[in-house]
Amino acid sequence: MNGHHDPELDDVLQDEELRRLATLLTSTMRPEPPLDDAFRSGLRRQLMQQAWDMGEGRPSLWRRIFAPPGLAWVGATAGLVLIAGLVVFYSTQQPGGLQQVVVQSPIDGSRAVALQQAILVNFNQAMDHPSTEAAVQISPATTVTYSWSSNTLAVQPASGILAPNTQYQVTIGSGAKTASGQSLSAAQTITFVTQPPAPPTPSPSPTPRAPATPSSLLTGEHQLAPLGGALATSTVQWSADSSTVYFVNSKGALDAVQAKGGDVSVVAPDGVSSAAIAPAGDRLAYIRGGRIEILTFAAGTTAELTATPAPTLVGWAKDKVIWAAADGVYSQAADGPARLAAMPTNGALKILSLAPDGTHAVYLQDLNLFLLDLTTAKSTQLGQANAAFFGWSPDGSQLMYSGTAGNIAIADVQGDSVGTVPTADASWSSQDAILLGSETDLYQAHPDGSNMTKLANGTYRLPIWAPNATAFTFFRGGLLWTASAPALPAVPSVLDQATTAVNTFMLARQKGQADPAAALLDSNGKQAYASGGLNLIINGDPFFSRFYVLTQAVTGTQPDAATFVVRLVLTHGKLDVADFEETLTVVRNPTTRQFLIDQATVGAHRDLGKGAEVVGVVAAADSVQVTFDSDLDPGTVADSMRVLDSKGRQLDATTSYANRTVTISGLGLKPGAQYKLVVLTTLRDVLGHNIAAEYDLQLVAPVAKTKADHKSGGVTASPAPASPSASPSPTASPS
Amino acid sequence: MSDTSRDDERELVEQARRDPRQFGALYDRHFQQIYRFVYSRVREQTAAEDVTSEIFMKALKAMPRYQDTGRPFAAWLYQIAVNAIADRYRTMRPSQPLDDFHDLSVAGPALEDLAAHRDELRRIWGLVESLPHQQRTALVLKFQEDMKIEDIAVAMGKSPGAVKLLIHRGVSRLRDEADSLRPVE
Repeated sequence: MNGHHDPELDDVLQDEELRRLATLLTSTMRPEPPLDDAFRSGLRRQLMQQAWDMGEGRPSLWRRIFAPPGLAWVGATAGLVLIAGLVVFYSTQQPGGLQQVVVQSPIDGSRAVALQQAILVNFNQAMDHPSTEAAVQISPATTVTYSWSSNTLAVQPASGILAPNTQYQVTIGSGAKTASGQSLSAAQTITFVTQPPAPPTPSPSPTPRAPATPSSLLTGEHQLAPLGGALATSTVQWSADSSTVYFVNSKGALDAVQAKGGDVSVVAPDGVSSAAIAPAGDRLAYIRGGRIEILTFAAGTTAELTATPAPTLVGWAKDKVIWAAADGVYSQAADGPARLAAMPTNGALKILSLAPDGTHAVYLQDLNLFLLDLTTAKSTQLGQANAAFFGWSPDGSQLMYSGTAGNIAIADVQGDSVGTVPTADASWSSQDAILLGSETDLYQAHPDGSNMTKLANGTYRLPIWAPNATAFTFFRGGLLWTASAPALPAVPSVLDQATTAVNTFMLARQKGQADPAAALLDSNGKQAYASGGLNLIINGDPFFSRFYVLTQAVTGTQPDAATFVVRLVLTHGKLDVADFEETLTVVRNPTTRQFLIDQATVGAHRDLGKGAEVVGVVAAADSVQVTFDSDLDPGTVADSMRVLDSKGRQLDATTSYANRTVTISGLGLKPGAQYKLVVLTTLRDVLGHNIAAEYDLQLVAPVAKTKADHKSGGVTASPAPASPSASPSPTASPS
Repeated sequence: MSDTSRDDERELVEQARRDPRQFGALYDRHFQQIYRFVYSRVREQTAAEDVTSEIFMKALKAMPRYQDTGRPFAAWLYQIAVNAIADRYRTMRPSQPLDDFHDLSVAGPALEDLAAHRDELRRIWGLVESLPHQQRTALVLKFQEDMKIEDIAVAMGKSPGAVKLLIHRGVSRLRDEADSLRPVE
């Protein structure tokens, strides 16, 4: 019998049978539950952000000391003496002797930072923006934009996302100055590592797609258009068929863009402040220059409607335009504008939103939120003072506003509660799914709060569902983006199961646990790690700090097999200094159904920090997509990337480059044939650094679907400089 | 916990009390333990993430008011966890099969006994799940989390005597309901 004796229980469980049961319960081991490292690091980041806010918001020491009323005057007097002393002290000091500048970041030291977010840099005092921005250096080479919120600098990659599997170092140089002109005493560096991209599908699509986190359930995430100004949901409208997004940019132009991407077209060039698509989808109303314009899509004609006082919001009640003005809500009648409901006459008033069905409006009176019934003109207060409005259900019968417990309350227009969801930027779909977006993550839930599902880590501000309840827009870093959310999570695939085995194997090695690692090797695998060249446990300094899967593919079906190229990163102190690759073939044991490592080869060590590095490769039927850690000099891409066939002949191909990713397409790869991806040293990053050495990757073109509905294909690697002996075993290739 | 690591923990707690930005060290130290406990109760990854977030967020906000009672800091976190799980899942029961969390393949018995042993463990843990809420919580904290009775008392907001009573009643009920349990040598 297993289980230890617990003396604490001796006087609790005196009966022998009870003690036997207790021992039995104690003997059960607890395995590790599934854990998303991104969640762990994301939560830490949120906590640190919250802690930072708490730290800033705490009363000062002096304020706390002097808080008791009896000490107030004593405190005030002492405070005056102190202030006078400080004034005298500082007036005699040089400018450099003031409070030391402290630089922190919630992601500093994190090892699994989500890709879709800005790098936030917090300063403990107000900074001079131009000198601070000029002092920022980022490695690897990345083009960025800057924005400030109080004393926090947001450094946003111009591409909208960070590179996957990459150690970033963001240095604030000593040239940065405070608002009072004080320089940093020394450069300060923030170091962090990003998450992997989404694993490639077993049969990769030839269509390039934006990388996502492994925990992301979103698809098709891509930028739509730059906005360059403040965020405003009221001006983003989807067409009824979910194909087109209309939005007002920072210059007041009403623009349109296809949801699948493409050029932005101008609907109205300037002065637009609100827009609304008719429920039938045939017309678009918007406010421009104090008038309402109504565009009929089919005819391409625009009608104008003059309203006094000036309209502030436009909406629809079935097929009629309605609008809000300072004194009420109006509709167009046969003889001109007719006021549906008047606003109160006292207090500071602002109508925030018109319901999608045109039967209600929400307005602010001073700091209180009210629901206005446009039929009866009666108002009902929503929530308590300072309540905020979050949106409507698509049919306008229910709405979301600040609840009393710091959450979003959901109620119908009669005031009956439906449920609550956590506070976030919210949007309600036609399928009753509420998106909840924030700076750090995106969730989805039903209006009653049930089925809360995390969709992704990263920045997803102000999401807005399309009518099809699949696509949605959101804001990230001054850009309008779109993505699609799934109805159901994906079922684990053969590749997922093989990936779990590889990750378990690698994690055990990373922790120096030889036995658990060896348990995942079959006899061939054990031989590979025993025969020299390959070390199961990697010791020494630099140390084996992390690993990631560079590329992966299913390569067999009877039995199931998959090939992975895993990159192992070696770190000295906090800095990643070198890496190398192992090519692992995992095969499912037909008896135990467990995946085991059957073959392994190792490549040469490479030093890091010497030009752009490949951090992800996806091979598809006729294209190869290669992701780098650096922004590249686009002019050097086409001539530096090539795919060779097994005889070393270069294939004709078209090369395109966007967001650190090179797509080599039009390859016409033969299923099952071997190819080689070559990255030449002529490739440069945006800072003009060439890559240190040629990088080669052995590829096996994906094969067609089998009758068993498995998909096959393979990718194997041999790190540069390439040599025949470093090539992977041909058994990795599908037959 | 050794005296040294207890002293280390006191130091960390005191630092985090004075400056919430030091809370990260406590989070790193206790995340795995709390997440694993929460997962064992809710058995669904997304729900476990939500509840764990709530626990650590509440703990962070309450840090300035934390008082050292001489018990481990983890007991306080478990107290928040027990309440958070009860609040959130008062009307729900975990649906995932028990084997998914309790590893029933214990090492030790001869192979021929293993199957019977697994069955017995499965049945007992199944019965634990059907116990009244307070008894179930006390048994899980004692036998799964391996906590001391005084720490369980902190986590459940009860006296040590009350916890002992809950454990006694819980195990007695298991004995009564598991008529056909087969002893394993």
